[in-house]
Amino acid sequence: MASREVIEYETGVSKAFNVFAAVFIAFYVVWTVLPIFIMFMSSFKDLLEAFKLPEVGDWAGVKVFFEFTPTTKHYYELFANLGFSTYLFNSLVAAGGSAVVSVVLGSMCAYSLSRIDFRGKKDLFFWIISTRMAPVVAVMVPLYWIFRELELVGTLPGLILAYTTFNLPFAIWILKGFFDNVPYAIEEAQMVDGATRLQAFRAILPLVAPGIGAFVVLCILFAWNDYLFAAIIGSGGAKTLPAATRELVQPQNIQWGQIMAAGVVTTLPMMFLGLVIRKYLVTGLTMGAVKE
Amino acid sequence: MTNASIPSAVPSQKGRPALELFRVRHIPDSVESRPSSAVVAEPTSINPPGSKRYYFLLMAPAILVLAFISIYPFFWMIYMSLHDVDIGKIEWNNFANYLKLPNDTRYIMGWLLLIQYSAMCLFLQIVIGVFLAVALNGSRFEKVLVTTLLMPMMMAPLVAGMVWYFLYNGTFGWYHWLLQSLGILGPKSILASANTAMIGIVLVDVWQWTPLITLITLAGLKRVPQDQLEANMVDGASAIRNFVSVTLPNLYPVLLIAIMLRFMDNFRFIDSILVLTGGGPGNATKILPVYLFEVSFKFFKLGRGAAIAFTLLIVTIILGMILVRVFERGQPKKG
Repeated sequence: MASREVIEYETGVSKAFNVFAAVFIAFYVVWTVLPIFIMFMSSFKDLLEAFKLPEVGDWAGVKVFFEFTPTTKHYYELFANLGFSTYLFNSLVAAGGSAVVSVVLGSMCAYSLSRIDFRGKKDLFFWIISTRMAPVVAVMVPLYWIFRELELVGTLPGLILAYTTFNLPFAIWILKGFFDNVPYAIEEAQMVDGATRLQAFRAILPLVAPGIGAFVVLCILFAWNDYLFAAIIGSGGAKTLPAATRELVQPQNIQWGQIMAAGVVTTLPMMFLGLVIRKYLVTGLTMGAVKE
Repeated sequence: MTNASIPSAVPSQKGRPALELFRVRHIPDSVESRPSSAVVAEPTSINPPGSKRYYFLLMAPAILVLAFISIYPFFWMIYMSLHDVDIGKIEWNNFANYLKLPNDTRYIMGWLLLIQYSAMCLFLQIVIGVFLAVALNGSRFEKVLVTTLLMPMMMAPLVAGMVWYFLYNGTFGWYHWLLQSLGILGPKSILASANTAMIGIVLVDVWQWTPLITLITLAGLKRVPQDQLEANMVDGASAIRNFVSVTLPNLYPVLLIAIMLRFMDNFRFIDSILVLTGGGPGNATKILPVYLFEVSFKFFKLGRGAAIAFTLLIVTIILGMILVRVFERGQPKKG
């Protein structure tokens, strides 16, 4: 910051603000991390240990939280006896499948939308985006009926198609922004050199590849984290991780250790992916309206 | 605001050309770090017309798929909403599904609760999110802290709901213990009493999505033209004054987008509420989408559900129209 020439004077007010801000940030970080930390720790606790709690007002008693012998039996139980490997597979296929379908079809559509102008383009665009914003529960009522007639309920293709309802418009909307930034002159030059249109399209793909990669990941994230579609459209044969986690809650004898372990299994891969595409996250989560 | 109210170090308009002669150009080390209000022209990407057929062909698969999963169901929804729908039979019922709605107290309450829920979530998220962004901006640990804040957003809302259900639990929940120890809550869990259940579900949404507001605000803060801030400071404006008169107006467009996005997401996602309270106790947290879910997939009154869904969808589409306007205004014009 050698070039900074504006001097910020330290006044009483600004000092007070800085202290307050530091305290606030510290408090907020604890508030953010604590539930995840407790989830993580509880997944390694035996049932009775997870239920241990100090007396009300006994602040020193917080240490009982750390008094336990770690066990991985919940994870073992999930995968060995509760069929979580199947659910993990279902999640992977449903999320991955819909992401691939959405991005392949979406990039073709987005590319064309960014290259030509026609009457009603704006309306088409609005229709695409409103598909994405529709409340999932509202969409599901007719979709459930249609899918039942087509015998798609409880199958992975059905779930993939269901996730495509929100992933495809998202992909089109976002990728159009990407293609808009690629000047037509590049394709023109390719075609002058004798490439066909399709070859020219393929030639500019590497330019948008990092973005496309990031949005495949985002589509996976949206689909992976969905519960409503998984619970209704996927019920029965295509149970995904969130739906399976929910079913661990039985009226009696809730297995909290297993639920927390299932939570960790569902969450960790997505946190990792989130870090990988960190650069595109804000753009993705705000539908391209805000860029970092 | 009049010019007279700001003490000005620069001579009046007439003196300007003369001053220009003596201005020392200073080139900063990194130009990128000092965004200004300058507009950069973007390269054009539009193809000169004449070859549209090829592009329409490329577009077709996506449009067809989208039509099958959005337009076709939309007409089905209208059709279903006008009928009594049961497994194996569909009967016309003279708009009964719609005519019943105004007398359905849970439907009306659903709307009111949805508005209340969204308002509470948005208020807390904006206040906390913006303050957090201002506090974080330019801090030494900004990168690490922001990465930490991302974690809740990556979590499936259902899992978040489960974890918080565990934390709120009246007999073994740590947060319940904390609230009790602080004397805020009695022995009853926050979710178990009709007065506090709404606060309980709002807190989960705030926990999960405030970081998004912070991220958006941070992105907005980076775009606040530093030259304006500096000019103001040279003129003797205080930091608070600067924040109110320069930073906030610049943040306003991104904040509007953030508000709209979160507002629509409150309509879209009910995963965590389904786990936390399922709409209870009583109907205290039965916001409209939850009620819709119950009618359609618990009692399987799909015709009635379709009528409710249709009204919800119409409102969402209107909100979406507003949002698209906001988007278009937020983005720099091309050409």
